[in-house]
Amino acid sequence: MKKSIFGWSVLMAVCFVMTIGSLAWGADDIKIGVIGPMQFTQGEGHWNGATLAAEEINKKGGIQVGNTWLPIKLVKVDSNEFLSVPDATNAMELAISRHKVNFLIGGFRTEAVLVMQDIAMDNKKIFIGCGAAHPKLCSRVKENYDRYKYWFRVTPINSRYLVKVDFILLGMVAKIMAMELKIPKIKVAIVAEKAVWCDPIVGIAQKNLPKMGMEVVGVWRPSPVATDVTAELSAIQSSGAHIIFTSFSSSVGITFAKQWGELQVPAAAVGINVEAQKDGFWAATGGKGNYTLTINTYARVRITDVTIAFFDKYSKRFKGAPNYTAGTYEAVYVLADAIEKADSLDPDKIVKAMEKTKRLGTAGTLVFDKTHDVTWGPGFVTAVGTQWQNGANKCVWPLNWQNITYEGAVPYVIPPWVVAHYKK
Amino acid sequence: MGLPGFYLRRAYSLFRGEVLVLPSRVAVFIFALGVLLLPLFSQDPYLLRILIFTSIFAILAASWDLLSGFTGQMNFGHALFFGVAAYCTALLNLRLDLPPWISIPLGALGAVLAGLIIGIPCLRLRGTYLALTTLAFPIILMGVIFAIPDITGGELGLSGIDRLSGSRLTDYYITSVLMLGLGFIMWKITDSKTGIILHAIREDEVAVRSSGINTTRYKLLAFCLSGFFAGIAGGLYAHIMRTAGPSTLEVALSFQIVIWAVFGGIVSIYGPIAGVFILFPLLEFLRIMPKIRMLVFAFIVLVTLLYMPQGLIPWLRDKIEKECPRCKIRNVTTRKTCRICTAELD
Repeated sequence: MKKSIFGWSVLMAVCFVMTIGSLAWGADDIKIGVIGPMQFTQGEGHWNGATLAAEEINKKGGIQVGNTWLPIKLVKVDSNEFLSVPDATNAMELAISRHKVNFLIGGFRTEAVLVMQDIAMDNKKIFIGCGAAHPKLCSRVKENYDRYKYWFRVTPINSRYLVKVDFILLGMVAKIMAMELKIPKIKVAIVAEKAVWCDPIVGIAQKNLPKMGMEVVGVWRPSPVATDVTAELSAIQSSGAHIIFTSFSSSVGITFAKQWGELQVPAAAVGINVEAQKDGFWAATGGKGNYTLTINTYARVRITDVTIAFFDKYSKRFKGAPNYTAGTYEAVYVLADAIEKADSLDPDKIVKAMEKTKRLGTAGTLVFDKTHDVTWGPGFVTAVGTQWQNGANKCVWPLNWQNITYEGAVPYVIPPWVVAHYKK
Repeated sequence: MGLPGFYLRRAYSLFRGEVLVLPSRVAVFIFALGVLLLPLFSQDPYLLRILIFTSIFAILAASWDLLSGFTGQMNFGHALFFGVAAYCTALLNLRLDLPPWISIPLGALGAVLAGLIIGIPCLRLRGTYLALTTLAFPIILMGVIFAIPDITGGELGLSGIDRLSGSRLTDYYITSVLMLGLGFIMWKITDSKTGIILHAIREDEVAVRSSGINTTRYKLLAFCLSGFFAGIAGGLYAHIMRTAGPSTLEVALSFQIVIWAVFGGIVSIYGPIAGVFILFPLLEFLRIMPKIRMLVFAFIVLVTLLYMPQGLIPWLRDKIEKECPRCKIRNVTTRKTCRICTAELD
């Protein structure tokens, strides 16, 4: 009996030592926590982008720190942040204290990311944002550098610049329509889903469009989940609008585009339509969403030398074009480059190296500004404007904008029924 | 032994007479002891974080039971109290620099005020109409929050709030001791004369009124008391999360509270607390199967309520205890006669 107890004790001790040992073996890799709403398309983008980058880096042997090559190990962390903010913060804590991740990338809902950011900063973990666009996340770096220096944003460009691009696209379409259809003064109908994020855009549009030489004929605010917007479209048609300036992030984007095409409303649709960024948009609208123009992050154009290769590889592997949360691809590379430059896993040294980042990335040249935000503008990351043209989502902007034209970009096409209506 | 000995003997006899006589009370005692002693065995930050939230939501669920379970004032917008207190606490802390031990009770008083504001128009309503009206209030408040972003922070909410304390362990003890203390106070309220009147209002309001009791006053009191306890939970949440955002007012949170309470068993106070202590960590545990996490969670809740319609805890309690048919005092099932009136139990 005593012998068996002794035997069991030895066995338990060996198991214990092996368990502890396995934790130490775990230090032979670099653990990156990919945190996002994994049951949603945004989280899928996070995971897919990071997976692609990690596989490419690991294929080359991993990340070199000193004389050692460390492979990247990704840890999938479901934040469930759309449904529960506490859930998101628990997931962050889980990643840091249980999975012992070295770095974190991802996040989407700003209210949740703000808390997740605090948890990461408490633990001095570098957290690269790849989803939330609000400027506040980065302004915290400026306000309290010592605490928030571990935060960086790779994608998307912050919401101030998103709005700027939105208006550039509107201006471009207005200019083309005025020239080609000989319209002296462009009339614009503002259609924004009834959601808080659209409120400032509507306000700015009402204020700025007259300054841009356009006339606002009305504002329509359908429900984000409306399944019928024919009443709004009929009213827009009656208003004599030439352009419909859209702001949609939800399923109403599909309803609107489909019925706009079906009714052949004689006004071009331009603005933000998140549904139109997805590959499934064409099938979802039965092709009626043709000629919809939306702001986007990725398109199959030569933004830089690596964009098309990334776009094709991603599309082939995951059966769909990358959405903007797939910018985790860039985040992993930025991190890997910084670790190698710092030649250390010390977060303070890596932060210093990351601040000097100048990377020819898939969405443009990636440089961080003083608030650790991705720099927007000509020569940096610009975002793109994509228009559905006969089943393909084609890049139509930048095209001769500030001397920038992305190779593969095509001219914007005014919907033929709009042309027919005004050239009668 | 002297005076300390006397008090020790008195405490022991009280413990033996009040706690050891019923298995459910022994279970509650062991639970409280377990909560207080847990950090001796593990101080894992993730585990403590989960339990901190569990304690906060347990206070919230119990406060719902006080209003909707005991008084029968069906509130489907309980997140209102939670959110109002979270925002008040955040504003008091950020604007007036008040420390948590002042901002939390004052925030809870804000929730009491909210209880009064919604209580007065809701007093004329009953059942479904009351439930639907209460559901509307957090939605209205959310609209107000988005309308004045300069004060409320709009869709981002208010952030940069002070920490509850300097360490996770202290946070844990503050929240768990408050949970146990406030849970006990709520239970004592329901066991008092006021509690009996609240209970009676739920059963037959007309009969209570015909007894000369001002039911309006008591219903308003229930709204305020429930609002205060929910407000404490909201204030704690704001200081733990260091943010107070629109998610504190979401309809989903209001329904979650109802699910926790109904799962644990309403009209008991400890039922909703147990419900949160089972369901909140369970949802975390289910992260091991991320794809079907919510599905499994919903399945467990549904199956439990299918076979235990009164909730898990009353079902368990009825298995180990029975009520005296004469004096209504609870006894352990092994007893043949009532411990108080000696009436036969079977």
